[in-house]
Amino acid sequence: MTKEWLKVLVAAFFEVGWVIGLKHADHALEWAGTAAAIFISFYLLIMAGNKLPVGTVYAVFVGLGTAGTVLSDILLFGEPVKVEKLILIAILLVGVAGLKLVTDEAEGERSS
Amino acid sequence: MSWVYLVLAGLFEMTGVAMISRLHEKKNWQSLLLLLASFGASFLFLALAMEELPMGTAYAVWTGIGASGGAILGMALYGESKSWKRIFFIALVLGATIGLKLVS
Repeated sequence: MTKEWLKVLVAAFFEVGWVIGLKHADHALEWAGTAAAIFISFYLLIMAGNKLPVGTVYAVFVGLGTAGTVLSDILLFGEPVKVEKLILIAILLVGVAGLKLVTDEAEGERSS
Repeated sequence: MSWVYLVLAGLFEMTGVAMISRLHEKKNWQSLLLLLASFGASFLFLALAMEELPMGTAYAVWTGIGASGGAILGMALYGESKSWKRIFFIALVLGATIGLKLVS
């Protein structure tokens, strides 16, 4: 199961990549990288949905992608750090951890 | 008109999420095409909506309709768990996501 969650994590990582790309890409190579990141993130998202419930996977995908984008805006592009951003990211991570927990529990019940 | 585009973008995202489930049930070109068309239409309408609406608002509404609608369709059509814990944590993740889009 952990392998499936890893796919969601990597998909979200590439999502951050293409969101940055759409905003900042300005020559052919960067646009090609952005297109590749879109393809990789959706491919992994779809593959993760094979074993895990798609509604859960998609929520985690957009959630982690958004948190990653907000963090990269702060760390790479000098956006201001706001306390409400950090609180929301913390809440989001609690939700993701909770989803992993309840999903793995349900899987365990099904297979036993 | 931009709000109509935005709602359409959210609805197409919702069906796109459902098409991921369909693709795993029926692995054929039709399913893949429906998936690509849904997400394609969703991005197109989102881009149209963003010509007038602020980006944070547009993204927040789009995600709100698309991801929560996708989760509801998954429960209604594809037998995904309706346990209150799962629904609570999905709401937590999406609530925080929408909040982040609005404050950024």
